[in-house]
Amino acid sequence: MALTSVVLVVAAAGYNWAQNQLDLSFHAFQDKRGVTVLSPDADFSKDFSDRTNLKVKFGVDSISAASNSCARCHPDGANNGRVVGSASVTRKYGDSKVTVGGEFSKEMFYTATTGLASISRDLNNANTTVAAGFAFSLNQPVLHPSRQTESQRSMDTYVSLTQSWTKGTVTQFGYELNQINGYQTNPFLRTSVNSVLTTGNSPDARTRHAVSARLRQALPAETFLEVDYRRYHDNWSLNSSTLALGLSHHFGDTIVAGGTYRYYTQTGTYFYKPSYTGSPTYFTGDFRLFPFDAGSVTGHIELTPKGPFLNMPAGSSLTLEYERYRSTTGFVAGIFTGGIRIPLK
Amino acid sequence: MPRVGRVIFALAVVAGLASAGCATVKPWQRGLLADSCMVFDSSAETSYMTHWQEAREGSMGGFGVQGGGCGCK
Amino acid sequence: MIRYSTAILLLASTLLFSASPAMAKDKTKAAPDVTFSTLDGKTVRMADLKGKVVLVDFWASWCIPCRKSFPEIDALNKELASKGLVVLAVTVDEERKNADMFLEKFPHTMTVAIDSKGTLAEAFKVNAMPSTMIVDRTGQIRYSHKGYTDKALGEFRAQVLELLAEAD
Repeated sequence: MALTSVVLVVAAAGYNWAQNQLDLSFHAFQDKRGVTVLSPDADFSKDFSDRTNLKVKFGVDSISAASNSCARCHPDGANNGRVVGSASVTRKYGDSKVTVGGEFSKEMFYTATTGLASISRDLNNANTTVAAGFAFSLNQPVLHPSRQTESQRSMDTYVSLTQSWTKGTVTQFGYELNQINGYQTNPFLRTSVNSVLTTGNSPDARTRHAVSARLRQALPAETFLEVDYRRYHDNWSLNSSTLALGLSHHFGDTIVAGGTYRYYTQTGTYFYKPSYTGSPTYFTGDFRLFPFDAGSVTGHIELTPKGPFLNMPAGSSLTLEYERYRSTTGFVAGIFTGGIRIPLK
Repeated sequence: MPRVGRVIFALAVVAGLASAGCATVKPWQRGLLADSCMVFDSSAETSYMTHWQEAREGSMGGFGVQGGGCGCK
Repeated sequence: MIRYSTAILLLASTLLFSASPAMAKDKTKAAPDVTFSTLDGKTVRMADLKGKVVLVDFWASWCIPCRKSFPEIDALNKELASKGLVVLAVTVDEERKNADMFLEKFPHTMTVAIDSKGTLAEAFKVNAMPSTMIVDRTGQIRYSHKGYTDKALGEFRAQVLELLAEAD
């Protein structure tokens, strides 16, 4: 989880070049299993020179693998706050950018420390961008209620190619490879083995591949089409496909609004069964490893008034977003996000 | 790596190398490409959304970084 | 995993660190004989500016570094216009209203021209945004700059003063 967040930190650092700004967001997550999470986070981006940019992010949430389970055993509520902080520095060398960064997150039952380095280069008058990166993570799950600490090491590599084809067409292809070694069983979720509820046992090594293809297409009348497709496969035989389709539109000079539909489908792992008998080597009660389909609908609006507003400087914007997620496992969640972007000098 | 993934990746590399030799969009024509709706992962909300999805689904990653935009120097 | 990672990083490194097309040394070449259309409806011919030092700057409302370069070049115009510098700030915005919105935020004294079809950008062989060309009194492009850095204004100033000191 941490790795993709760091990758996105790097991505934002690259895009926001020469845009000093502060993003403050507040997320309210609620699902049908009883998890309610309020998460503030802050993203700060600052250029120290025309070649060096610093990006710092700090957030608090409780959305983790543990939170879902806390709600089951602690229906009166359980605090499982997660604090996450990341920082990256990007330096330009001609048409290339080099980024070095890291992330640290800590919650009651899990600590993750990640280091990341990435390179990107613009070719062909910035019509083509190639990027590659590597991240290494040391993670420490803490079992419950025994408090025994396990360990996990994750290595992640990605490469992406972005191509502008016309004035209004850009595509991106990406490939990511992730290898996790160490404790990977969910210590909170149980499954039935010989009619006894038992904590699962997952393999200690997982190799994960993800390939993506994305399109952004400008349409007439200040409307934009977004298409994202991802195909995922791992050596636990979990395969998934994700397709997201979105449309955005400019309403005048101050409002951008749009919606996205995302469809997700995954198979279960090779060792998944609704219940087990005998002496299985691997078994799991982790719903993330079950087969299921999911769909979500998101609506968003961004307002950028022409002048200063709410004591914020001109150029500030306000964002509101709501997502409704539903899966065939019965899981339903609603996520509301409100954000403010403040340009800095 | 799954076969479909190998094919997509190979095509992407070939396309990228082929296109490296010919300019497509002129630097002064990148106004639309610089629009926030055309840039991949341009919002601070994306990171949060990805985080909670990976805590509830079995997959991860795959989406690249950077590229597109105004291409300014 | 190590083999895959190594292969990916090697491929990426090859692309990333491959040499850029060789940058030709700025060779002096004649400025194209073009006509600029200013935002207040006038026209300015490049050929009529012989005898002056001309700084032509290509910018756009969507160009983020231009938010820094535009006011700094305007300041240069205020300082050196009386000494013979002519600044032409050419917007390549395809829609006039976008340029107008930008100019509302950046009051200026220099002449602003519009090139919504990219004809002037093509003629000046612009290959980056922003781009700045400095033309001497004989109509030769002596300096071309791609992009805008913290050092750019100092370089522009030194080059303009050098050309202003040259006799016709």
